[in-house]
Amino acid sequence: MNKILIVDDSTTARMVIKRCLKIIGLTDATVIEVAHGQEALDIIKEQQVDLLVTDLNMPVMSGETLISRIKANPKLNEMPVIVVTCAGNPAKEAQLLGLGVNQVVNKPVSAELMLTALEGICPELLITM
Amino acid sequence: MIEHKPLYQAMISAVSQTLENMAFMEAMEHFNPKYEIPTDEVVCNSILINDPIQGEIKLAMSKSLLLKLTCNLFSLGEDEIDPSQMDDILNELLNTIVGLFMTNLLSDNQEYKIGLPETEIAGLPEIDASTIVWKLMTSEEDAIQIFATGASLVELK
Repeated sequence: MNKILIVDDSTTARMVIKRCLKIIGLTDATVIEVAHGQEALDIIKEQQVDLLVTDLNMPVMSGETLISRIKANPKLNEMPVIVVTCAGNPAKEAQLLGLGVNQVVNKPVSAELMLTALEGICPELLITM
Repeated sequence: MIEHKPLYQAMISAVSQTLENMAFMEAMEHFNPKYEIPTDEVVCNSILINDPIQGEIKLAMSKSLLLKLTCNLFSLGEDEIDPSQMDDILNELLNTIVGLFMTNLLSDNQEYKIGLPETEIAGLPEIDASTIVWKLMTSEEDAIQIFATGASLVELK
C-alpha cells in the first residue's frame, strides 16, 4: 500500500489536498498528515514514504528546509516531492526545482493539477488505483 | 517599476478561483455595491504584503457563510464544527486568495513576500480614501468583502 505524507500547518489545506487525491482515485493510499517540516522529517526517518506533498511557509521547520534535509540524505533523496504553495511563480518554481523538488503546484490546488503533477513523477501510484 | 495587470480584476479572479477550487462555490461582483455585512455578523482576518509592494489585505464575510464553507469543506454538520476549523478555513482562504492575487498582479518572474494571516477582532476596517474595497458575493448571494490598504499597493489601481 502506498504511503503519502502531507505537510501543511493548515488543516484546511491538508484536507483539500487529501480530497484531491481521493478524487483522482488514490483511495487506497495511506495518508499521513503533519503540521510542519520537523514532524515530517521524524516520520520519513522512521518509515517508508512513497510521496511527500508539502507546503513551504510553516512554523518550526519550513518546507524549504525540509526539502534541503531530504535531498541531502542519500537514503531519502529519491523520494518524490510535490510542493503545494501560494507563493509560486516561475522564478520560485525554478528555485524549488533546483533544490530537487519534482513538481510545484500552486494553490488553490485542484484534482486536475494534482493528477498532472503525479503523472509526471510517480505514475506507479496512479497505476495501483 | 512593477509590471502588473489591473488590480481590481486581479483580486476578483483570485477570489473566484480560490472559492471554486476549495469550496466548489462561484464568486462574482455583488449586485448591490452599497451592501455591507452586518457588524454583529462579520468575521474578518488580515494579512500583510511585505515585498515588492507594502500593504494589507483584509477578508470579511458573515459568520453564517463561514459556517457554511466549513461544513462543506469538512463534510460535517453544523453541530460538529469546531471554531478552530472555521478560523483555519478563513486563514487558508485569505492566504490562497492573496497568493493568487499577487501572482495575477505581478509579472512572471517577480517574487513576493506575504505574512501570515491573523484574525481581526475589531471587525470591518475603517474605510478611507486610500482603501480599495471589493464587494463580492457567492452564487447563493452570501457577501464577501475584501479591503486593500497601503500606499504602494493602492497606487497600482
